[in-house]
Amino acid sequence: MEELIAILEDIHPGVDYNTCTTLIDDEILDSFAILSIVSELTDTFGIEITPMDIVPANFNSAKAMWAMVERLKSGN
Amino acid sequence: MSFLSAKFLLYVAAVTFLYYVVPKKKQWIVLLLASYFFYAAAGVKLLAFLMCTTLSTYGCGLLVSAIDLKYPDRKEKMARQRPVILATLFLNFGILFVLKYMNFVIDLVRPGAGHVEWALPLGISFYTFQSVGYILDVYWKRTEAEKNPFRFALFVSFFPQLLQGPIGRYSRLAKQYKEEHSFSLLKLEHGVQRMLWGYFQKFVLADRAGVVVTEVFNHDLNYSGITHITAVLFYAIQLYADFSGGMDVVIGIAEILGITLDENFRQPYFSVSITDFWHRWHITLGTWMKDYLFYPMSLSKWMSKYGKHAKKVFGKRTGRIMPIALSNIIVFLVVGIWHGSGWKYIVYGLYNGGLIALANLCTPLFEAMFRITKIDPKSRFMHVVRIIRTFILVLISFYFDIAGNLRIALRMLKASVTGFTFRTLTDGTLLTLGLEKKDYLILLFGVAAVFTMSLFREFGHDIRLDVDRKALPVRWVFYLILFFSVPLLGMNNIVGGGGFIYARF
Repeated sequence: MEELIAILEDIHPGVDYNTCTTLIDDEILDSFAILSIVSELTDTFGIEITPMDIVPANFNSAKAMWAMVERLKSGN
Repeated sequence: MSFLSAKFLLYVAAVTFLYYVVPKKKQWIVLLLASYFFYAAAGVKLLAFLMCTTLSTYGCGLLVSAIDLKYPDRKEKMARQRPVILATLFLNFGILFVLKYMNFVIDLVRPGAGHVEWALPLGISFYTFQSVGYILDVYWKRTEAEKNPFRFALFVSFFPQLLQGPIGRYSRLAKQYKEEHSFSLLKLEHGVQRMLWGYFQKFVLADRAGVVVTEVFNHDLNYSGITHITAVLFYAIQLYADFSGGMDVVIGIAEILGITLDENFRQPYFSVSITDFWHRWHITLGTWMKDYLFYPMSLSKWMSKYGKHAKKVFGKRTGRIMPIALSNIIVFLVVGIWHGSGWKYIVYGLYNGGLIALANLCTPLFEAMFRITKIDPKSRFMHVVRIIRTFILVLISFYFDIAGNLRIALRMLKASVTGFTFRTLTDGTLLTLGLEKKDYLILLFGVAAVFTMSLFREFGHDIRLDVDRKALPVRWVFYLILFFSVPLLGMNNIVGGGGFIYARF
């Protein structure tokens, strides 16, 4: 999770990722930021993120992103 | 049947009456019949194209869903689903391509050869994109496949949105068509209110501003400098009032029927960047492109390989952005081509995509500039500066959209700067462009009204709620003023008005 927060702060600083749960709903992250995050998550955790996974529910908070990473790491 | 004709308004009234008198379970059938009758009125033969898209995407959805249930292994499942999807995409985009772009291809391959003359089916770009979106949603399990072909046919053909969108999503629309709707005076009032506002924008503003646009862009060599700039400013008024007004009519009709369509505009001229502009202008096309083209392309294997290579060559930060920027440019190229065939649309798309890509690549540079100059990028002053800068960039893009061809667009852009003199504003030139003094005053009044409404909305204020809170007589005075202002101040009367610009696409 700490690794993920570091990635998020590098890509889009100035947000409290521990508490924010509206990263997409409040348009804090745009499509460029989302794809940058995807690129880093893919490289760091060795997972494959497909268009199917690009839904607001997976990117609205750091917690949701981490849950997605965990799910993809386990192969589901 | 034009949306701008009295016949159409009577048709809407008749459909609304039938919709609310039939048993509620049958309401969707009234909408389906009304939609097909509306489409057939434009040409029975063109129905074949609409039905082809409907049947192919309906069948594809069922097949993709059946494969999903039959094969538990993800890889095997995808391997079987992909050919079905590709064949359906090929068929539907193939029809769109042949009908819309064949003459452009002929010009490229055999310049001077004759053009193919055929009628473009009404709203083909809109219903093709909407149907293709549905297939991909089924494939990505964002929605379930529709089993009833007639219900699916309504999703593709719902007559208010058929001509110029908004491009809807199955997940939001299908359930509304299944719901039972009771007549509500408030819904009727809101719908009519919105339609009136749309007609006001179209007849009073768009058609009037269009007179100057047509004169200057059709005879650009007769004018230069500030006249060109005035014309492109008037095009900004015309295009917004035409498209946004058209959307108000469409959304208003749907509202009367109890159907909520997606919004297509959110004060686009208050955008602070080109990215922001495309989040506010033709929103449903932008989100379609993002979800169904931008993300899949950016996440593709070949783009991922390019990303890894770019990171090695340009470093982590720039390398990460490079494939996204490239995808973005390709997406905007498609957006440009979606608007029409011809080089000017290709340049229009590349210009928008290029600016967004550049802005993202240069973000570290801008941040450094703000740090050095100690300017607060979030200050109110900078916000206004960014709005003005974005509006100028949008105006430049409009030269490519409205000029007859790329050569004329570039010639006009050059003449806008080289032949610039403020004297043109006072020497009577503006009164030779087809409008009289009173027309300019009406335009000024209309633009002020739209600007005020937009400003309120921008600050989160819902004017509709204010109107709702007023006493009935006050509301009626407001509606009557709006109602009579359309025929009294409009350029065309409601019986003989011209078409909407976006219905061409």
